[in-house]
Amino acid sequence: MAGLIFRRLSISAIILLVVSILVFVATLLLPGDPAQAILGQQATPERLAALREQMNLNDPFAQRYLHWLGGLFVGDFGVSTASGGSVGALLGDRIAASLVLMVAAAAISIPVGILVGTYSALRRGRAGDHAATGISLVLAALPDFVIGIVLVTLFSTTVFTVLPSVTLAPPGEQVWDYPSQLILPVLTLVLVVMPYIIRMMRTTMIEVLDSGYVEMARLKGVPERQVIWRHALPHAIAPVAQVIAIQLAWLAGGIVVVEFLFRYPGVGQALVDAVTNRDVQVVQALAMLIAAVYVVVNLLADIVGILTNPKLRTGGTR
Amino acid sequence: MAIGVGALLTACSSTAATPLPALTGPPQPGGTLRVGLVGGGAADTLDAHIPVSTTDIARVVSLYEALLYRDENFDLKPLLALSATPSADAKTWTVKLRQGVLFHDGRTMTSRDVAATFARIVDPENPKSGAASLTVLDEVAVLEDYLLEFRLNTPTATFDDSLGQYALGIVPADYDPQNPVGTGPFKYKSFTAGRRSLFTRNNKYWRDAEPYLDELRILNFSDDNALINALLATQVDAIGQVPLALLEVLKTDPRVNILNSETGMWLPFTMRVDRAPFDDVRVRQAFRLVVDREQMVEQVLSGHGTVGNDMYALYDPGYAENLPQRVQNIERAKELLAEAGYPDGLDVELVTAPIQSGAVEAAQVFAQQALAAGINVNIRRVDTTTFFGDDYLQWDFAQDFWYTRNFLPQANNGSLPNSPYNETHWQNPRFQQLVEQAKSTINPTERNALITEAQTIEYNEGGYIIWGHPNQADAYQRYVGGLVSNSTGLPLSGLEFRRVWLGGQS
Amino acid sequence: MTQINTHTETSTTVVETPPGLLRRIIRQRQAKIGLVLTGLVVIVAVFGPLVLPWLTGYTSTEFVGRPFQPDGLFGTDNLGRDILSRFLDGGLTLLVFAALATGLGMLLGTTAGMLAAYQGGWLDSVIMRGNDVLLALPQIVFALLAITVLGPQGWVVVLVIGITHAPRIARVTRAAASAVITEDFIRASEMYAVPRWKILVKDVLPNITGPLMVELGLRMTYSIAAIASLSFLGLGMQPPTADWGLMINENRIALTLQPWGVILPVLAIAILTVGSNLITDAVARASATVEESK
Repeated sequence: MAGLIFRRLSISAIILLVVSILVFVATLLLPGDPAQAILGQQATPERLAALREQMNLNDPFAQRYLHWLGGLFVGDFGVSTASGGSVGALLGDRIAASLVLMVAAAAISIPVGILVGTYSALRRGRAGDHAATGISLVLAALPDFVIGIVLVTLFSTTVFTVLPSVTLAPPGEQVWDYPSQLILPVLTLVLVVMPYIIRMMRTTMIEVLDSGYVEMARLKGVPERQVIWRHALPHAIAPVAQVIAIQLAWLAGGIVVVEFLFRYPGVGQALVDAVTNRDVQVVQALAMLIAAVYVVVNLLADIVGILTNPKLRTGGTR
Repeated sequence: MAIGVGALLTACSSTAATPLPALTGPPQPGGTLRVGLVGGGAADTLDAHIPVSTTDIARVVSLYEALLYRDENFDLKPLLALSATPSADAKTWTVKLRQGVLFHDGRTMTSRDVAATFARIVDPENPKSGAASLTVLDEVAVLEDYLLEFRLNTPTATFDDSLGQYALGIVPADYDPQNPVGTGPFKYKSFTAGRRSLFTRNNKYWRDAEPYLDELRILNFSDDNALINALLATQVDAIGQVPLALLEVLKTDPRVNILNSETGMWLPFTMRVDRAPFDDVRVRQAFRLVVDREQMVEQVLSGHGTVGNDMYALYDPGYAENLPQRVQNIERAKELLAEAGYPDGLDVELVTAPIQSGAVEAAQVFAQQALAAGINVNIRRVDTTTFFGDDYLQWDFAQDFWYTRNFLPQANNGSLPNSPYNETHWQNPRFQQLVEQAKSTINPTERNALITEAQTIEYNEGGYIIWGHPNQADAYQRYVGGLVSNSTGLPLSGLEFRRVWLGGQS
Repeated sequence: MTQINTHTETSTTVVETPPGLLRRIIRQRQAKIGLVLTGLVVIVAVFGPLVLPWLTGYTSTEFVGRPFQPDGLFGTDNLGRDILSRFLDGGLTLLVFAALATGLGMLLGTTAGMLAAYQGGWLDSVIMRGNDVLLALPQIVFALLAITVLGPQGWVVVLVIGITHAPRIARVTRAAASAVITEDFIRASEMYAVPRWKILVKDVLPNITGPLMVELGLRMTYSIAAIASLSFLGLGMQPPTADWGLMINENRIALTLQPWGVILPVLAIAILTVGSNLITDAVARASATVEESK
């Protein structure tokens, strides 16, 4: 088993290495000159030349790649070409802000999803189950920005004007100081992520409830409540953990659209800005960060899978 | 669920608002003004001499002051200078400074600071934004503590215009942008690029009573939607550059005032006169004739703008007002195209980018209008970085955006062979001769006559399609006082927050 | 789908997809609702452009009034064009591009998946590790970079979405095909020296249509969502094209003033994706029961 885990680890490392080459090459192909992008209409040949030199834009590709890769290992993501500050410092706030969103979304959608899925499984075929599966089927189909816009029209602009539709942290304060601004983005993410958890939970719970193991517990006269909480639920959680992992990994990339919609100052918006500004170092750092989250979360899910269940399951979609 | 939304929409749309009485009485001191502006990003700066985005300009105007400035009527007025007068040959300009002006750190501003400022701007190693218009400047000579001479290599009768740029703020001789000290009405307190700037009142400001505010916060927004929402949610007190199509949103809200200023800004289409098909003057004329300018102003600017006549420098005293307003004439355009060898019309690519609100929209309206004359416009939208990238100034048919300027500075910037932004590659010997002559003509009447003649050439043959001049629309809460309409094209009264005050402070 | 199979694969031994599959799908209430919803939107998208001029009186690029005014049934958009006309004209590109992207993804994914399953060995490893790399490169980052490098053109969008679908489809195909290639009839074909590609196309492919159809529906739903999302971000369709995603991007700014420019396309996209998801779900259930009954 340790060997299997080690194999997984090394595969993940190789994947990240290949991704880093792809990302680096792709960012070099970006059209336009980053120096020109920074100076805009104010660019003069002298200022351009000086800035290019300062940004090492004249070194050969391979040298720049190795230099960059070396930096990644020691946590040095380079210098943001747009602001002149270090990428790490620039992104610190953004990463924290995005994490707040993701953690809040996960903290709500995981327990609620598990509860609703369990409830649905217990009431199999009844009205409550139909409602839960129907709604989750509909939500699972909707693109994230559609859910977001519907929420904005409902709660912010058109029907009720109770919640802010954009995020705005006044000077010196952080996004989480204004919880009301977090409601809609978090709710959007919850509604995007939860349906998958509900559906997976329902399916596995039904399997577990039908298993001989639960039957046995019931026959032994264990109270139904205890059967569900002590025996069935823990067994259903393991496969659901995989779906949860996939959803979390998806969040890392999918958060871009939601942040764009709500003007939330997280990594997603930073990424869109950086691509527009040709802030190559920031694009590289963010692409690697999102890829790393994906790989690590999947790795963890795999390891959990290996540890808890010898019969490896393949993940869901997304 | 979604269908329910549609049904509820019409029934429940309302904005909860309590109308406040309009401000009356004298300005009240105190309070914090929160200003929202779109633009800027990680590249934001506090440096006095390299402002790029609107938020940069807002910071620069608040922290620093130039020798002269353009007031709300686009008149050149003294700021840190008391006067700027040319010699008879227009090669030497004598500038008398205002006395008793203090920098934020308490030191007195003198001629030496002014000379050092200009040395910093035109530094050949690292020239700043203003350097382009100062190429005629040879030397800044300190005569006395408050008296200087600007010695030029070329006679320039309108050099004072160059001195009135906001990017020429006077800074101390030992200026370091890390310690952004100027003479402006507000002092630096904190700053996060792309997010916010926090400035406090300059208690030693040279004007009496102003500024009225205790504190000024400039907040960056990345899109108009967020900006307007923030105003409606009272997260900000004033917002600049509202997209003209959205003024209706704000008009319905009784808590909000709108500042709708006519300006001399222009959002032209640029045809390269040295490349086919635009090297044929008849094609350029045809393209100008296919534009329905009224419709352009209606669709692109929602009617909030003035119709253009293919000439810039709307407020220049020499502006060629005698020329007839050009109107759409499809028949004539077709004739011209046929004469130029395109009897069946032609295909062109128009490069556009969201360089300014309305730019991509104008391209679409133009494409639609040009169809009538058999011109098939293929719109290629790029992002602003690509637009201002390697091919900037090289596009055959593209767009650009310019703030209000007078004729000579504008021609210097974009219509001469050695102009930094000659995007139409316009090169007309007679035009050049007229501009050169006007530059050294001190007598305003004679100068204006030369300008009119030069403009007539561009009106007949030039590579710009100037279909209109957008208004500058800003919005602010009713309790904000002191904002007036301003024709420079800069938002919110030319970003002069010194004159702004808040009602209900006492 | 089943019909096509019977027509083209008469020469070789084929374990036919049970003819009951289509009927099993249709019999479900979900599928019926899904078909009605999807059909509704498809009809609007396909016939909208045809009936446009006489239905609304305007083309989708004609100017009706000032921007964001309540003229006409649903008002005007950000350039003063008729929102209903834009809406009727804006669905077809989305559908066509989504179909192309899905088709490309299916082609790449099934080919890679079947090859990996059938050949095994190093080819399998290479394909599957390539898959992992593509999966680790987040779709949105990939799209953002590709579109900025290559420009926001239709084929770039199709390519990007197709490529991001491929590894997921390849996984499913490989899993399904692995079960099939051990069957006796494949061995038989091999013994008759039937070319490898023929075995894959004629023997393996027809026997994995169940999971592939589920995948097709799923990928179609995601393609629609992804293309609309890119347009919403301003990276997909470009003006002056009438397109639902782009309409949302263009008119979102005036949500409080003139919501129809956003609500109509949002509704259409929502109904379309929900419909196709319902169908996909029905297909999945139907093929699952088919599997069980085998």
